[in-house]
Amino acid sequence: MKKIVSILIMLLIALTLCGCDLTEGYPTPTDRFFVNDFADIISDEDENEIYNDAANLYNKTTAQVVVITVDDLNGEEIADYALNIGREWGVGSEEENNGVVILLSRDDREIYIAVGYGLEGALPDSKTGRIIDRYGISYFSEDEFSQGLVSVSDAIINEVYIEYGLSAEEGYIPINQLPDESEEEDGKDILISWGIMLLIIAIYLIVFRGRGFIWLGGPPFGGRGSFGGGSFGGGSFGGGGFRGGGGSFGGGGAGRGF
Amino acid sequence: MKKKTIIIIAVIAVAVILISSVVSGYNGLVEKQQELRSAASQIQTQLQRRADLIPNFVNTVKGYSDYEQKTYTAVTEARASVQSADSVEDQAEANEELNRAISIWVNAVTEAYPDLKANEQYLALTDELAGTENRIAVARKDYNDAAKEYNVSVKRFPKNIIAAIFDFDDADYFEAADGADTVPEVSFD
Repeated sequence: MKKIVSILIMLLIALTLCGCDLTEGYPTPTDRFFVNDFADIISDEDENEIYNDAANLYNKTTAQVVVITVDDLNGEEIADYALNIGREWGVGSEEENNGVVILLSRDDREIYIAVGYGLEGALPDSKTGRIIDRYGISYFSEDEFSQGLVSVSDAIINEVYIEYGLSAEEGYIPINQLPDESEEEDGKDILISWGIMLLIIAIYLIVFRGRGFIWLGGPPFGGRGSFGGGSFGGGSFGGGGFRGGGGSFGGGGAGRGF
Repeated sequence: MKKKTIIIIAVIAVAVILISSVVSGYNGLVEKQQELRSAASQIQTQLQRRADLIPNFVNTVKGYSDYEQKTYTAVTEARASVQSADSVEDQAEANEELNRAISIWVNAVTEAYPDLKANEQYLALTDELAGTENRIAVARKDYNDAAKEYNVSVKRFPKNIIAAIFDFDDADYFEAADGADTVPEVSFD
């Protein structure tokens, strides 16, 4: 009799625990924070690459680019899901709201990139949409999620570097300098965009030099340009420890179905 | 003599407690009201942003001879009424109308000129428009959350006394009176 009672109690406890899990709205971040492959569609190698690049970006700029894959969205709009999870996790810093959530739902076959308030200038909706079109769609429609996410997150990360006046990874061409597919790009536009970029860099230099934050003199952050080359071969970050900084989102971003 | 001092001290103590609780209650209400205003101004910003986007959109499709003039007239009218709306409720109403008009218009244009979908400038604008739509929705939700919190504290005892003394009115919710649940989605597919 006692045995039955205790088994019943155990079952009850198990059920309640299970129930808690089921009713929970959004998943909690993994210990690697920047890569959360809940749908298990990213290869280990690609996960490491995204993680290292995103951690690198975070260390240099405090901006957080977080990749999340889910099985499905429980019927929620992908834009809302991405926004809510970004707010809940606090992606980006509280002061700058410089977070980006790249959310892919496997079963809904949709991707959405939610951009925090602070990065809406660097990543306006049109550019975000274009990044998905240029770097992602062709992979996603072939079910090559892993590669597509590497390629999209890489573009986003580099655009954020550019926003912060840092140089992008080697070989990355800013999206606004890619030739337009439907129209010839105006020479004047390129000149202007270069001018703006130089201006941003100049302002950055002036501002940060004043605080004794000089990176002109030499490789300041332990080797600019040696990205992905193994300088962060896993151990340097202790495999985790990152979390959200309390950043918020205002509904900016773009998405695509595929 | 001694009794009088005690009474005076007691009265002063009660007065101090009363005044400080009124002050903190008042400040709390002011703070909530400010949060509400900032949420409301966020809606304004996004509504303005969309209003500014519409002419850009027109310029892009202008090349396509007759860009569905009839449906566009509804957009201009709705846009004007969003900008001239005073109260939150009117604005919400006008906003729903504009949502509807834009989606009808965009669908008409896209249907009439399918090759627009290959135009990157057009794609960029539809992304911006959809993004702004989404921002308005988010700003609206944030505003309504703030309004709810504010309204609860205005009505709840004892702050309702302070609210009555200092004339804190209820906040309107940003929602259209009817038809709000039948908002058509702007679809660019």
